Amino acid sequence: MNAHDLLWGMAPAQLPADAPAWAVEAISAGHPVVVRRALVAPGHVAVGVRGRLREQRFATVMPLAQVTRRVVPEALGAVVLPRDLPALRALEHLRPLLGQHAWGVAGSAGFELATGIEALHAHSDLDLILRSPERLERGDAQRLLAVLDTAVCAVDLQLQTPFGAVALREWAGRSRRVLLKTCGGAQLVADPWQAVA
Amino acid sequence: METLSFEFPAGQPPKGRALVGCVGSGDLEVLLEPGTPGTLNIQVQTSVNGAQLRWQHLFERIFQEHTPPALNIDIHDFGATPGVVRLRLEQGFEEIGHD
Repeated sequence: MNAHDLLWGMAPAQLPADAPAWAVEAISAGHPVVVRRALVAPGHVAVGVRGRLREQRFATVMPLAQVTRRVVPEALGAVVLPRDLPALRALEHLRPLLGQHAWGVAGSAGFELATGIEALHAHSDLDLILRSPERLERGDAQRLLAVLDTAVCAVDLQLQTPFGAVALREWAGRSRRVLLKTCGGAQLVADPWQAVA
Repeated sequence: METLSFEFPAGQPPKGRALVGCVGSGDLEVLLEPGTPGTLNIQVQTSVNGAQLRWQHLFERIFQEHTPPALNIDIHDFGATPGVVRLRLEQGFEEIGHD
């Protein structure tokens, strides 16, 4: 189970009593939840429920035994949807250019590609992930970013290192320290491929 | 999209400016520039509506630890958690101190 995986099988009864009505609605409608980075009790996974509005995100946990289906971001790169939106056009454009990488689609684009539920709009970014078990040199990061920036909308690619996630845009930049999102929270680190103390 | 303004007491303005952070979900971009002595001005442009009080409390907690330098800070927020906001501000203060 990794951050950005989509999971089906959560039941409304598993939501805490303080869950907002829109979250109960989304789960009742059978929408999947999104795996997030957080430390939780064994046998559970940290997930987020998505609502229709941008500020509608509800963090909770799901028992692993309830998972009936799992879709990983890598499975969504090849999905084609008929809607004409910048994020989907950007995906079409980048698909052949990213071919040999272990990449996938996350965020609203990933959610819509996996479910067919309209989550994207005209101003949505395209959220991508790239599995990066080996260190990506900063020069290579700049070259990859230049490719992504040829797309028709903003593309936010998160490098998934063994220790967390870092934004390609930031790693390609000049900052000495970059933000690494880990299960224990976010940290500023000099090297995202080194274990965080 | 909402624009929020905040003002806090501050020390002296620093010499340099700094840009830290990143445009992208769960993150924010912070531009720090020298301001008027005694005043810290913060403008937050955020995609998450209705969060004025949440920002106010977060800034209060951060600045009560030590008086900030006099700055004009421009924040573009893309739904960052309070933890990320705090890290980015600390990073910004650090970068400004390095010039």
